[in-house]
Amino acid sequence: MKALVVGLGSSHRGDDASGPEVVAEVAALRLPDVEVMVMADPAALLDLPRSVDLLVLVDAMRSGAAPGQVAVLTEGELPPGTAANTHELGLADVIELARALDRVPPRLVIVAIEAAHFDHGMPMSSAVQEAVPAAVRTVVEVLGAAGG
Amino acid sequence: MTSRTVKVGMLARVEGEGAMLVDVRDGNVEDVQLRIFEPPRFFEGFLRGRDYRELPDITARICGICPVAYQLSACLAIEDACGVEVSEEIRLMRRLLYCGEWIESHALHIFFLHAPDFLGFDGAIEMAREHRGVVEAALRIKRAGNELMGVVGGRSVHPINVKVGGFHRMPTGQELRAVRPALIAARDEVLELLPLLAGFEFPEFEQPHLYLALGAENGYPLETGSLVSSDGLQTSVSAFGDHVREQHVEHSNALHAQFDGHRYMVGPLARYSLHSRALSTLATQAALAVGLGEVCRNPFKSILVRAVELVFALDEAVRIIDGWQGTAAAAVPVTMLGGQGHGATEAPRGLLYHRYRFDADGSILDAQIVPPTSQNQPSIEDDLRIFVQDRLDLAHDELTRQCETVIRNYDPCISCATHFLDLRIERR
Repeated sequence: MKALVVGLGSSHRGDDASGPEVVAEVAALRLPDVEVMVMADPAALLDLPRSVDLLVLVDAMRSGAAPGQVAVLTEGELPPGTAANTHELGLADVIELARALDRVPPRLVIVAIEAAHFDHGMPMSSAVQEAVPAAVRTVVEVLGAAGG
Repeated sequence: MTSRTVKVGMLARVEGEGAMLVDVRDGNVEDVQLRIFEPPRFFEGFLRGRDYRELPDITARICGICPVAYQLSACLAIEDACGVEVSEEIRLMRRLLYCGEWIESHALHIFFLHAPDFLGFDGAIEMAREHRGVVEAALRIKRAGNELMGVVGGRSVHPINVKVGGFHRMPTGQELRAVRPALIAARDEVLELLPLLAGFEFPEFEQPHLYLALGAENGYPLETGSLVSSDGLQTSVSAFGDHVREQHVEHSNALHAQFDGHRYMVGPLARYSLHSRALSTLATQAALAVGLGEVCRNPFKSILVRAVELVFALDEAVRIIDGWQGTAAAAVPVTMLGGQGHGATEAPRGLLYHRYRFDADGSILDAQIVPPTSQNQPSIEDDLRIFVQDRLDLAHDELTRQCETVIRNYDPCISCATHFLDLRIERR
């Protein structure tokens, strides 16, 4: 089974860096049959390689929970996209379009880290920084459960 | 007295946030408002005091769809103030970069934003389920534009290779030739999709708007040109301010522009109608294939004109790459001594004008940026007024839907224009 772990976000926008940060640590584990990738724009999901069996998306989230809290979501649990304008095609919209075009594998899991801020040019908040190891463990568990 | 209001509170498939309201009383359209409530962005204000060399990179941030337009209009204005003319190779490389932006922007608007209106879908996602091949092809066409922007501009969004006087680094002939196969494939795919677009049902609707575009001194206008209008005016870009006046209207955060006191239109219809004879042979054949004459006055057919321009941009990019010599320097020296400069280029949505006044040390004293959507707003409102007046018997939902298409005919970029969409048609 081949798995792809994608870190969504920008390293220059506070807690938005958590996705890229988590996948960098997953990459360092050198897990067999696991590839990692960073995407600043979720629209890049439309260009994914087709030979992947499991897709894990790691992204920062704002749900009102305590910053640093890690959650495992399915695509059905994402808030619906508005598709209102082309400047900000949301994750739910991109996944829906990618599904319609068979660009994402049937198995897709989202590991979401509750963010405190997305300030330009600022580092991650300490709560999110401290949550990175837990998020990495969650990704590894998702991969293990799926591969098991 | 009977009256009604047709309204859309938040327009979809446009760039940015706006709304529309049409007020009808006793069978007469009394008021039409394209409401732009995306907050003002104050770019012209915070450019004051910045160094002229920062202009291409700062103004690029006004728009994620047409950053090249902002970069190049800014460069032309600075070079005008400094009395500098770039080499023919730099002009051609700018034109090639601009082709990349037209390919990205037109592919996005034709297939993802506008085509769903004619095929009866709420959006591209619904359309993808039934017309998967079309959406797949559109993604490949757009990606060809991204590749071209990447090679010439350094990256596919907000390119970083543009500087005053030219480029930081010229791409090599080998790098350019590597993009060629994707451009040829995309050009063939657009040609194959033309019958689908030509088969759409277009309302009988023609508008006598004054057309304004750059001149075709260097071919179909993109990166250079004088000012040309459909009533025979031909003048220099520096005369733009003598003709165009911007004014604030209460219902919009975008300024409304008028040309010699009249509404006017910029963009694909204006460019095509003034310069269809400057298109390449293949683009001319594409225009014939979709049934366009030398002039197009039906705003709904802008989707066909954009498709012709998309063929042209792909064709022109291949032409520039095939003729590339690569002998000139990447940039020409620019010495800033202060003064005023004007610059205009053809953004995908139409003419984009910049004017700056510089201090002797190169800092910006004041800035004026007139984006295409500000210029088109009065024409969009006029289209709505006349379109709705003749279709008051339509069911409310259908009328509302068609009004949204009237607005999308212009591919309005609200984000660019604010200093600007949600549609409301009130029938009282």
